[in-house]
Amino acid sequence: MAEASLDILWPAFLAGLLVLATHVPLGKLVLDRGIVFIDLAIAQVAGLGVVIADFLGWEPNGWSVQVAAVAAALIAAGFLIWTERHLALLQEAVIGVVFVVAASAEIILFGFNPHGAEHLKDLLVGQILWVSPAQLLPVLVLYAAVLAIYWRFDLARQRVLFYAVFAVTVTASVQLVGVFLVFASLIVPALAARIVDMRDPLRFAYVFGFVGYVLGLLGSDMLDFPTGAAIVCTLAAMAAVTLIVRAAKSVAA
Amino acid sequence: MRKIPIVTFLFAVFALGATSLPASAKVNVFACEPEWAALTTALGGEDVEVFTATTARQDPHQIQARPALISRLRGADLAVCTGAELEIGWMPVLLRQSSNAKVQPGAPGYFEATQQVKLLEVPTRLDRAEGDIHPQGNPHIQGDPRNMQIIAAALAKRLAAIDPAHAAGYTERGKAFDEKLAQAIQGWQKEATPLKGVNVVIYHKEWIYLTNWLGMHEVGTIEPKPGVPPGSAYLAQLLEEIPQKNVKMVIYSAYQDPRAPEFISAKAKIPAVMLPFTVGGTEASRDLFDLYEDTIKRLLAGVAAHG
Repeated sequence: MAEASLDILWPAFLAGLLVLATHVPLGKLVLDRGIVFIDLAIAQVAGLGVVIADFLGWEPNGWSVQVAAVAAALIAAGFLIWTERHLALLQEAVIGVVFVVAASAEIILFGFNPHGAEHLKDLLVGQILWVSPAQLLPVLVLYAAVLAIYWRFDLARQRVLFYAVFAVTVTASVQLVGVFLVFASLIVPALAARIVDMRDPLRFAYVFGFVGYVLGLLGSDMLDFPTGAAIVCTLAAMAAVTLIVRAAKSVAA
Repeated sequence: MRKIPIVTFLFAVFALGATSLPASAKVNVFACEPEWAALTTALGGEDVEVFTATTARQDPHQIQARPALISRLRGADLAVCTGAELEIGWMPVLLRQSSNAKVQPGAPGYFEATQQVKLLEVPTRLDRAEGDIHPQGNPHIQGDPRNMQIIAAALAKRLAAIDPAHAAGYTERGKAFDEKLAQAIQGWQKEATPLKGVNVVIYHKEWIYLTNWLGMHEVGTIEPKPGVPPGSAYLAQLLEEIPQKNVKMVIYSAYQDPRAPEFISAKAKIPAVMLPFTVGGTEASRDLFDLYEDTIKRLLAGVAAHG
């Protein structure tokens, strides 16, 4: 039966690798900027874009939904570029407000069109286990482009490019694996790398994320836990271990 | 290049840690909801091995993806679901991921309960503005035990067709179940006489089969449209209508948040009655017979409390 389980888990595993490939380096930048909730805000606004498109009577099909989501995410990114320039120290607060306002606007619009809620759910509550290999291909192409931009340009300096790349990346990943897993993939490996203070934090974060996904997938399979939640908790548990190791080291020193 | 051994190692762990399915000559049944698991167990007895995808405390409209769901459906000989789009959010994707030809829609191994009975509340016009509605009609058919009788007969036949070696057993248990249920229905209907003509407010539109059976009337819903939370103006109007329409109680199900019905209950001074909705929804509802028994007991208590 082992092969059966492998067969079930491998699309989720590939989805995880794709998400990690882009989110680990972007997560480091997000952590450096101190704007950790930006992914939640961008994802929520992308969702709002879909709900508005639905509200305006666009028949939702694959492409119009993606266009609406990406357009809304880019508008949000544009707004956040502007606020970072003018309200630099308050950026985190602005991001929080964008998140709750987008979420609340969606609730108001649902009153007019409850089916928008379903589209939103599809968009924000992606489930890693439901991923089909066909879904992975466009994301693979997109993320290859994202990584090329990441290595070619210094996104830490290029503010506009950073926000644009980030908006597109997150809009794709939340549909694949859901907001919780996106947040965890972005922040936890980068956080763990900070905690252990490695010389090559990016490499450490990649390995950390990789091990977390594999252990989370296995744990979910053995214990029959919801897969996305199991991976998030595994990553968090591993970060806790790094924290303990660091504390033990400093006591010893 | 140091990642390669890690990959190999972890794949080996994958293989070791994989779940195994019980290997047996039994018919493996994947039941989407607890009521169908209970019914299949009643009809299949020792000849079936039943896995339930959702619990009574879960909203069957949406569930979290777990690996066992796919592996169980992959190994299933028969899937028993409600249908009528109740499981539209997860069953199609699960069927795709399972790639089990035996249980795909149209195959003998795919059984939809709603195909067997006449659905109520079929929308006359399909408008997305009307809320989360099911175009084929209201799928929550388990509220009426007379539906259960019809579905049991069809399911017993299906089990016999899939597992001809034990056909006699399915037929026999099917007959016994039908007789027992027919008799119980007589008793419940007598017991439920005080409920006839009682007006109720419901949370979500999922009680029409129950209220229809017992002769109760749904005169209002807490959700203005299925799946949409109420606003204050709507609630104010609902509270005004409750005494006008002589509403005796608010009904909600075990998997729902009790806060909205409790709010209405406190404001309108009528009892809020939590019903099991499916097998396992309350401690007392261990099988289908307990389910109807407990539902009627709770409704009668609600009427009595109102005086």
